Amino acid sequence: MKVKYSYLEEQFRDYPAIFAKIARVVETGDYTLGRAVAEFEEKFAALLGAKYAVGVNSGTDALFLSLKALGVGPGDEVITTPNTFIATVGAIVAAGARPVFVDVTDEYVMDPDLIEGAITPRTRALMPVHYAGVPGDLDRILALAQSRGLPVVEDACQAIGAAFHGRCAGTFGITGAFSLHPLKNLNVWGDAGIIVTDDRDLRDRLALLRNHGLRNRDEVDLFGYNSRLDTVQAVVGLHLLQDFDRITATRIKWANRLDEALSRLSPRVTVPARRPHKRYVHHLYMVQAQDRDQLLTFLQARGIEAKVHYPIPLHLQRASAHLGYQAGDFPVAETQARSIITLPVHQHLSEEQVDYMIEMIREFYR
Amino acid sequence: MEVKYLDLPPQFADPQLLQEIAGLLKDCRFILGPAVARFEEKFAQICGARFAVGVNSGTDALFLGLKALNIGPGHEVITVANSFVATAGAIVAAGAQPMFVDVGPDYNMDPDLIEAALTPRTRALIPVHLTGNPADMPRLLEIARKHRLFVLEDAAQAVGAAIGGKPVGSFGELGCFSLHPLKNLNAAGDGGVITTNDEELYWRLQRLHNHGLKNRDEIEFFGYNSRLDSLQALIAAHRLQQLDEVTRKRLDHARRYDGLLLGLADDVVLPPRRPGVRQVFHTYVVQVRDRERLMSFLAEHGIETKVHYPVPIHLQEPCRRLGWRPGDLPETERQSQRILSLPVHQDLTEAQILHVAETIRQFYRRR
Repeated sequence: MKVKYSYLEEQFRDYPAIFAKIARVVETGDYTLGRAVAEFEEKFAALLGAKYAVGVNSGTDALFLSLKALGVGPGDEVITTPNTFIATVGAIVAAGARPVFVDVTDEYVMDPDLIEGAITPRTRALMPVHYAGVPGDLDRILALAQSRGLPVVEDACQAIGAAFHGRCAGTFGITGAFSLHPLKNLNVWGDAGIIVTDDRDLRDRLALLRNHGLRNRDEVDLFGYNSRLDTVQAVVGLHLLQDFDRITATRIKWANRLDEALSRLSPRVTVPARRPHKRYVHHLYMVQAQDRDQLLTFLQARGIEAKVHYPIPLHLQRASAHLGYQAGDFPVAETQARSIITLPVHQHLSEEQVDYMIEMIREFYR
Repeated sequence: MEVKYLDLPPQFADPQLLQEIAGLLKDCRFILGPAVARFEEKFAQICGARFAVGVNSGTDALFLGLKALNIGPGHEVITVANSFVATAGAIVAAGAQPMFVDVGPDYNMDPDLIEAALTPRTRALIPVHLTGNPADMPRLLEIARKHRLFVLEDAAQAVGAAIGGKPVGSFGELGCFSLHPLKNLNAAGDGGVITTNDEELYWRLQRLHNHGLKNRDEIEFFGYNSRLDSLQALIAAHRLQQLDEVTRKRLDHARRYDGLLLGLADDVVLPPRRPGVRQVFHTYVVQVRDRERLMSFLAEHGIETKVHYPVPIHLQEPCRRLGWRPGDLPETERQSQRILSLPVHQDLTEAQILHVAETIRQFYRRR
């Protein structure tokens, strides 16, 4: 039996329905910041319970533009975690600031106990990552940020729909950054991202920054960037938004099934603790496994496309050499990097496929 | 008769294109897939360059080009102020300072003014092939070589333009193009391309535009996310097949206007022409007397015209904060009061062109 990691072909089998909607854009030639972008922004903000949303070119740019809108730049430090996708750190570096890492918890997210120790006089923002769709410990992070007067930019790129005590991840910080990359839970047909905020001034600033700083066609308020959500992609996003609750519910269902079965394999498989006040959206379903590399090969040989997100933490990448970190600095993230494995958990799996994965993992440890 | 400045719908309503997009939706390789590689190859070919890298926009083509050349804080880049704001925006985004020089009667960088603008911090020239008319690349290159400056061509408006048969984008270290929906070669959203003959720059650009990734798991250096979407690459590749036809029609229309508007002396100054140069008329810009009234008069007769651009970049708010003042670039400023872009797109009819020219003549006869 094959269990594929990517499901895009199945997901977009109904593309003629989306074509019909794109045809309306083609009829009007409304390609740049067109009506569909405004409509998508409005619906996305409503979905999250935020006041405003600003569509941009990518999740990376959602982070980068958030930092720029806050005035973060050279000489500043931004605190984040080392087990994220490179773009989190890339956005900090692109803004001219220095990334400062803190280690993670058993849930793969920023350890709130360690933040205080990483704050320096140059710290200008906290960037917790809701990694894998796991909401961070937002009450404690927010309390600390407030007491230190630091803004929080939430990297919610993998966490659309995740929630903490019923409130959506991305709406706690001054901004929340989301990705709509084809491999995300809510996805479009290319690069795209979106920022949510409740702050009117920040919204206006972000709208300027993403479109060359243009106040109108002819007048420039500030030098900005070109980072717009394509109208065509907004149309795709609007179409998928209708299906979003079902997508998330299905992922949660398969994750729960895996959780239950795999926790019986403890200690060979460690399922992260699940906390009742958190809603996990399982962008990546990650457990820790003994003999991970052999398990990976074993599963792949049996048609199961398991993956590792990611084998090398950011502080040990060659690109980070100038930051001066070394192996051992973040023991939890480093240990996890050696044992994490990501299993397919997408909305196009069948129960049979999920059970097959469980059976194969059991067989490996037998 | 209605004459729209641009008519996008007919350009994309093509069943063949829909089929190609349907093909993409069967394999769903939306990010840096074979569609991008195929487009890059064809684009490099028409530009006479060894390599091309698709990126997210024309702005990013310039920005990433500067980054690939290690231009940043503490550096100055010489460019012109009559371009779209993105030219200067890309320089500022890279952390460098834009230094503007004035333009000649051809709307392009005046090579005679460059040496006076040089400082020890100058690292590069960004000439803009404004309107689709190539800047004087042989002279600019000579000056650049003499002073060891890099040259990035802002060819956002000039795909297909050439000097002595040599395409723009192949003169400098890097050629930076836009595929914005309003360009001669366009996608259905933001897109850009960088051309180069330098293998090492190509290698750096490939990493810079994709997070600095060497492979899925290893990062060479921190980069950016600025990829040409496969979807847009597919559309641009499709439109590339029609580029010669598009350019030919724009050239025909420009020649037609030239003939029909001849003899209006100072009322209407026609675009400059130089022998051996292929202009592609992204815009057909004339300088006119009494511009605002002429624009209204044309609008009353159903004719959409534009001004590219009424406020030069050096007089925009962020540059005024840097100390730029009216009078600093007299020719640029004078032109900005007089320039007018007439519709010149490929879907114009002979009757529409006659209507535009006749209405302009009528305007000046009345007075």
